[in-house]
Amino acid sequence: MFKSVKNAMAGIFITLFLSSSALAAGQFDGVTLLVGTWGGLWKDNQVENIVSKFEAEGGKVEFVTGSPAANFAKIVAARGQAPFDVVEILAAQVKDYHELDVLHPLDLSLIPNTEFLSESRYNEWLVGSWETQEVICYHKDKFAEEGIPVPTTYRDLVHPKLAGRIQFPDINSGGGLTGLAGVTFAEGGDETNIEPGLNLVKEMNVLKFWARGGETMAQFESGDIIASVVHAGWCLRTKKLAGQNVTTVHPRINDELVGVASEGWFGVMKNSKNAEAAQWYINQFISADYQLKMAIKTGLVPVNQSVFEAMAEDPLVAEMIVLDPEKVANQLRVDYSKVIIPDWTDQWNRAIAQ
Amino acid sequence: MKFVTYRLQKAIGRFFFGLYCSISYIFLLSPMVVVIGTSLNGPTENVEASFTFPPDSFSLYWYTQIPEGQIDALLLSFVLATVASLCGCLLGVPAALGLVRSNVPGKALISAIFRAPLQIPAIVTGIAFLQLFYWIGDLTGFYWQGSIIGLALGHIFIATPYVVGTVTAILQRFDTRLEEAAVIHGASPRRAFFRVTLPVIMPGVYAGALYAFMVSFSDVPVAIFLSSPGFVTYPVEIFFALENDFEPSLMASATLVIIICLLLLLLVQKVIGLDALLKVGGSRGVG
Repeated sequence: MFKSVKNAMAGIFITLFLSSSALAAGQFDGVTLLVGTWGGLWKDNQVENIVSKFEAEGGKVEFVTGSPAANFAKIVAARGQAPFDVVEILAAQVKDYHELDVLHPLDLSLIPNTEFLSESRYNEWLVGSWETQEVICYHKDKFAEEGIPVPTTYRDLVHPKLAGRIQFPDINSGGGLTGLAGVTFAEGGDETNIEPGLNLVKEMNVLKFWARGGETMAQFESGDIIASVVHAGWCLRTKKLAGQNVTTVHPRINDELVGVASEGWFGVMKNSKNAEAAQWYINQFISADYQLKMAIKTGLVPVNQSVFEAMAEDPLVAEMIVLDPEKVANQLRVDYSKVIIPDWTDQWNRAIAQ
Repeated sequence: MKFVTYRLQKAIGRFFFGLYCSISYIFLLSPMVVVIGTSLNGPTENVEASFTFPPDSFSLYWYTQIPEGQIDALLLSFVLATVASLCGCLLGVPAALGLVRSNVPGKALISAIFRAPLQIPAIVTGIAFLQLFYWIGDLTGFYWQGSIIGLALGHIFIATPYVVGTVTAILQRFDTRLEEAAVIHGASPRRAFFRVTLPVIMPGVYAGALYAFMVSFSDVPVAIFLSSPGFVTYPVEIFFALENDFEPSLMASATLVIIICLLLLLLVQKVIGLDALLKVGGSRGVG
């Protein structure tokens, strides 16, 4: 009798223990997800908002920090064996990733937040992660003091009072290709003919070709520049963090297009053993909650359009970033499948860098 | 009259020499002064992250904002640079001895191979090591990329030529009669090496080790390819942080590095004497 009670107790205990373990077990127990992304604030935001959720599911996230260019170089050097499961990809790199055939096809049912993205921002290989709006960031007070008209086009930067007081992205910087594309299209060129854009850049009398957007903040503070071609996020941070009275102009490109957009994507690597977890990560990244936090903090434009309304409540964001989906759709987007990047770089080096 | 002219010429000479030295010091030290000054500028009500020099207000606020990742990376860089300079010495000193004293065929070629890491762009070295580690990994199942071993091997590769170079420079001026005298007086070749040769070439070893440390500590192109989660060196951490951040905490973190490096130099001065490093061109009484 005593023995059977003891056995029953033991059975109940084991059942309870197993069921509690099963309850505690997360979706990603034992999974270590490797994420290829930028360092600094960009990574810290993800650690703060996404990693804790992944850890709650039993997994662990490790970051392979680096620019998309550096991460792509690692894939090439590693002959396709990517040292990460999921990676950030720039629009200009999409063609290279496809040519190298290193992407894992996505199961969009695992990324339900894609329903809040415009259809052009996801497909069976990639999901959009962010956008930037490339603008002319200018110092309101200085322009008013010196009677310089507020620019509406890139050509307006060719002004005697702006000579040697403006910044433009270097071709090798994050905003380089988009910046050059912007001036090229505005001057009547296209992906295959960038000469008009190069000529305009030469006419601008640029003080400095920036390598990192953060230089904009420092140069505005020092008073060396009073205008810069940069993405709206850096202009926003220049005002918010450095207290400079700057604002943005979304340059008119032609009769149809106003402003220039640049796109970031997420892709899962073919050799990933954690494809499901990688897609979970992407879904979190494009969630309304994360996209809103990212946008307010960095000034980048969310791909999740459900947060546009909430973003507009921030007066600075509303002032500097275009949030009307119709206007966003009306911004210049470069078709990088037509761009031969080494050719662009070569022409830039010959025309500008010299 | 001649005496007065001579003294005047000397005074003018001294003045211009002093001016030249002052300009050199200002040129060398001003970036550091700006970095330190900027790091001490605290946030104000309207300006959260200002790069202002001279600082408007004195604050250590940005020192409290240094990300933990940068501190970890800094520690890793120190360990890595120490390992690279020690291993560089262990490889570089025998290599220099062999190059200077042996008559092996193809000595010039071997010497060129030892110098090769200085001539290959570091970014190429990084990619080459990454490919090599993948290749070794495919063969053996042991993947060194992204490990501390992989990082250390890459840094030893780029650091060793500096030790070879400085030790070779001293050995070429070394008077071998000193060793012969020691042997004639009964010392074994081993004892002669440790008691005579090594003390004479030590300034070269110290100088090479210091160069090796600096090259490893400041390397970005090699570490960019060989680092991995958990093993990111300080320059790489800063390099990538700069792409998205531009906060004065970077200046605070850079100031810490400057202070640590100055303390290390003081330690070197105390233990070895910096003048020893200046003897690399040839020690007195030799040759």
